[in-house]
Amino acid sequence: MLAVKLLPYLAAWVAMVLVLLRTFSGNRPVTAAAGIVGFAGGVAGTQALFHASSAELAIGVVKSSVGVGFLLLWGVSVAAIYRSTGRNMPAWGKRFAHTRLFAGIVALAAGLLMGGVTACRVAGADAGAMACLLAALAAGVLAGAVLAVEKRLPQAFTVSPAGLTAAVVALLLFGSSSIIRLDLFAPLTMKVMKFAHDFVHQFFESMLIPDHLFFSTGTWHYIGLLFGKGVGFWGALIIWFIPVILILLAISVERLPAVAHIRQGAARRKMVAAAVRSRRLRLLVPAASALVLAAAVYRSTFPTVEYWDPKPLAVVATPNGEIFIPKKGEIDLEDGKLHKFLYKQGGKQARFMVLMTTGGKLTVVLDACAICKPDGYGQTEGSVVCYYCKTLIPLETVGKPGGCNPVPLPFAEKADGVHLDAITLVNTWDTTVQTTTRIKEDGK
Amino acid sequence: MKRLLRPIWAVLSSRAVSPVVIGLFLLIYIGIAFFTDEALTTLIGFTSHSVFLAGLFALLPLNCACRLAAEISLHLGRRRALAGNAAAVSPELFDETVSLPASGSDAEVPHPAPDFAGLEGRLGAAGYRTHRTAGALSAWRGFSAFPARIVYLTATFCLLAGILISLTSRLSLRSPVVEGEPLPSFAGDRVVEKIALRESGGMFLSRTLTMEVAPSGAGEGRRVFGLYPPALQSGFFVYPRYLGIGLVVRFSAPDMPAGFEKPCVLNIYPPGKEEAVEIPGSPYRIVLSLADPGDGTDPYISGRMAFLFKVMKDTEVVFTGKAAAGGEVAHDGYRIAFPDARRLAITDFIRDFGVPLIWGALLMLVVAAAIRLPTRLFLPRREMLFMDDAGSVRAFSRAEGRFRDHGGVFHEALDLLEGQVSYPVKVDAEGNQRHEAQ
Repeated sequence: MLAVKLLPYLAAWVAMVLVLLRTFSGNRPVTAAAGIVGFAGGVAGTQALFHASSAELAIGVVKSSVGVGFLLLWGVSVAAIYRSTGRNMPAWGKRFAHTRLFAGIVALAAGLLMGGVTACRVAGADAGAMACLLAALAAGVLAGAVLAVEKRLPQAFTVSPAGLTAAVVALLLFGSSSIIRLDLFAPLTMKVMKFAHDFVHQFFESMLIPDHLFFSTGTWHYIGLLFGKGVGFWGALIIWFIPVILILLAISVERLPAVAHIRQGAARRKMVAAAVRSRRLRLLVPAASALVLAAAVYRSTFPTVEYWDPKPLAVVATPNGEIFIPKKGEIDLEDGKLHKFLYKQGGKQARFMVLMTTGGKLTVVLDACAICKPDGYGQTEGSVVCYYCKTLIPLETVGKPGGCNPVPLPFAEKADGVHLDAITLVNTWDTTVQTTTRIKEDGK
Repeated sequence: MKRLLRPIWAVLSSRAVSPVVIGLFLLIYIGIAFFTDEALTTLIGFTSHSVFLAGLFALLPLNCACRLAAEISLHLGRRRALAGNAAAVSPELFDETVSLPASGSDAEVPHPAPDFAGLEGRLGAAGYRTHRTAGALSAWRGFSAFPARIVYLTATFCLLAGILISLTSRLSLRSPVVEGEPLPSFAGDRVVEKIALRESGGMFLSRTLTMEVAPSGAGEGRRVFGLYPPALQSGFFVYPRYLGIGLVVRFSAPDMPAGFEKPCVLNIYPPGKEEAVEIPGSPYRIVLSLADPGDGTDPYISGRMAFLFKVMKDTEVVFTGKAAAGGEVAHDGYRIAFPDARRLAITDFIRDFGVPLIWGALLMLVVAAAIRLPTRLFLPRREMLFMDDAGSVRAFSRAEGRFRDHGGVFHEALDLLEGQVSYPVKVDAEGNQRHEAQ
C-alpha cells in the first residue's frame, strides 16, 4: 500500500533528477548530490514539522512553497517570451547560472520541495517516520540510477532554464494535486471565480453600466456565464497552463541566428537547420511539462477520496415558523457525523447541516458558503470539504463565518434538540448564497 | 544632465516596466487574497489611498507615453533612412545589419561601386517598391504596423491613465431621486417631474428608464436622463442603480395611539422584495413589499401600486395585510395607511474624469485591432536598405511579425552585391577597369 502511495512521487522525482542533470550537464555529480540531500532534508523537515507543531503548519509551509514555485514559473515564462521576441532584456546572472554553486542550489531547492510534498503524502500515518525514511532512501538510489542512465541520452537533447523551471514546478504540482490539502488547482478555480465576479461588478460600476434589472434576459444570460463554475475552472486552466505555453512559444519564436553574413547558400541553410533542430528538441521538456500539468488537473478534479454525504432530510416548520430537529430521533445529531436537511417554503428552499464540532457542541450551518456555488459539503476525517472549491474546513472552525466556511445560522440548542427560525434560514440562504440557488435533486 | 537623463529615459521607456509593475500588483493581490476574500476591492481601496501604490500604478501610463515617444522617434528615423536622407543609419532601427565585402578583403585596393540599378530591378520583380538615391537603395513591401501600434499605445495610455484618475479621484454620492422632488443640491436642485420605466425591445436592455427634469431658474432647459450612456448633470454622471418607492407610511397601534407618519425611501422593487421600516421608540417594525398585481403588469410601470405589509412587535407578527397607495387598513386597533407613493430611483451621482478616457481607450483598441490584424495577416511590412559606403555596402533588413526574413530575397541581394564589390578593380594596359574575377 505504501509503495502504491509513493510510486507516483518517486516517478516524479526520477523525472525531476533527469531534467536537472540534463540542464546542468557540466555539473552532474554536484547536481545529483544536492538533489538527494534536498529530498532527504525535505522529507525530514516536513516530518519534523508534523510532529513538532500541527499538520496545518507543515501542510501550509509546503503548499506555500509550491505556490511560490508556481509564481516563479510565471515570472520565468514572461521573461522568456520577452527575451525571445527580441526585447532588450538584460541577461543578469548568466555567468552565475553556469556555476557549480547555482546547479547545487537549484537541485537542493527542487529536492527539498519534492521531499516535502512526498512526506505530506505519508506523514501523519502511523508508519509515517518509517515511510519517510524509506522514501528518502529510494529517492537516493533512484537518483544514482538516473545519474548513470542520463549520460546515454543524445547530446543534442538539451533543456533551457525556462524548460527546467517548467518541469520542476509541473512535477511538484502533480505531486501535490493528489493530496487534497496540498492541491493548488481547486483553490485557484475558486479564486478565479471570485475574481471574475468582483471584476465584472467593478467594471460595471466603473463604466456606469446599468444594473441587471434593466438587461434583457439574453444579455444577462451571457453576462451570467462570467459568474458560473465554468469561469473558475477555465480561468484556472488558463492560469495553470499559460506559463508552459509561453515557454513553448518563447522557444518556438526564438530568433534564428543571423546568416546574412554567410555568402554560401548551403552554409546558411545548414546553420538555420541546426538551429531549428535544436529548438525543436528544447520544446520536448516544456511539452512534457504541459502533459504533467494536465495530469495534475485531472487528479485535482477527480480526487480518489470519498466523503460522508447523507441525502438531506426534508423538514417542516411549525405554524409560528420554527424548525425543530430532535437530538435523538430518526438520526442521532450527536454521533459526530454531518447531517443534512432541506426546508421548503413556497417556491423557496434552503439546505442546511447540523453537526457536532470537535468541542462537543452542536452547530447549525447552511450547506453552502458565501463564496462558491452551493454544491454543498461532504465530511472527511477531521474536516468538511466544499465540493465546489475542494477547500477543507477543519471541524473546529465549522460554525464560524468567513471564507469558504459554511454560513452559520442562529439556532437554540435545548435538551431535546435544536430549534431554528425558518424565515431566517430562507432569508440567509437567499441573501448569502450569491451565485445560484438552484438545488439539484433535493440536495445532492 | 544628458548623462543623468539617459538612464532614466531608458528605464521609463523600457518594455520591461509594464510587466514588472503588473507582476508587483499581482503579488500584492495574491498577498491580500491570503487575508480576505474581497481581494480586488481591497487592492482598489489600497491603491486609491496609498501614494506609493498610486505612484507605482502611474508608472504604467508613463511607460506607455514613453514607449509612444520612443517608437515614433524610431519610426521617423527609419523613414529618414529609407528615404536616403540619413547621414548615418543606426543598426537599432533594423533587425539585421551586414557589411560587404566580408571582413578580410583588402581595404587598400579600390572596389567598384555597387550596381544598385540592377538590384532595384530585381527587387521590383520580387514585389518590392524601391527608392534609389545617390549611394543608397531602399526597398519595401506591405503595410507598416506603425499606425496600429500608435493607436494601440495611445489607447493603452488612455486606459491606464483613466483607471489611475478614476482610482484616485472618483467621487460617488448615492441619493434617491424621487418623482416630484428636487435633485440633490450638489446636482442642481432641479425638480424631477417624472420617472418612467418602459419595456424595450433593445438588443441589450429590456427596459429603459427616463427621468425628466424640469427647467431650472437659471435658464437651463428641460432635460431627460436615460440609462446609457449616462447623462452628465452639474459635472456628475447620473447613474441609476436600483428602483424603489417613496412611500409615506402612517401607522398607529393600541399602545401607540399618537401614531407615526414618515416618508420612507424603500428599496422594494421588484415586487416581493422586502424592506423593513423601524418605528423609533417603539417595539414595532413594519416589513413592506410591493405586491405583484398578478395580471402580468408591472406596478412601477403602470403606477397601480399596492403594498404587502407585516407589522412586527419584537419578533411577533401582529398584523399583516395589503393596502393600495392612498388606502388605509385597520384591524384590532392597528391602523396602517399609505397616503402617498411615488416612484424613485436610487441613483449614484459620480464625478469621474477617468471614465471618458476609458471609453475612448476601448474604442481605440478596437480600431487598433481592426488595422493590425489584416495588415499583419496579409501584408506584413518588409524593409531593406543598401548603402554604398566608400566602395563597400552596408545592408539593413527588417521584417515585422513572426516571419522575420524576406523569403531569401535579402540574402540573394547580398549575394549579388558581394559579387560586385568583393573583387578589387584592376586597370589593364589600355586603362580599362575590370574585376579580378572577370
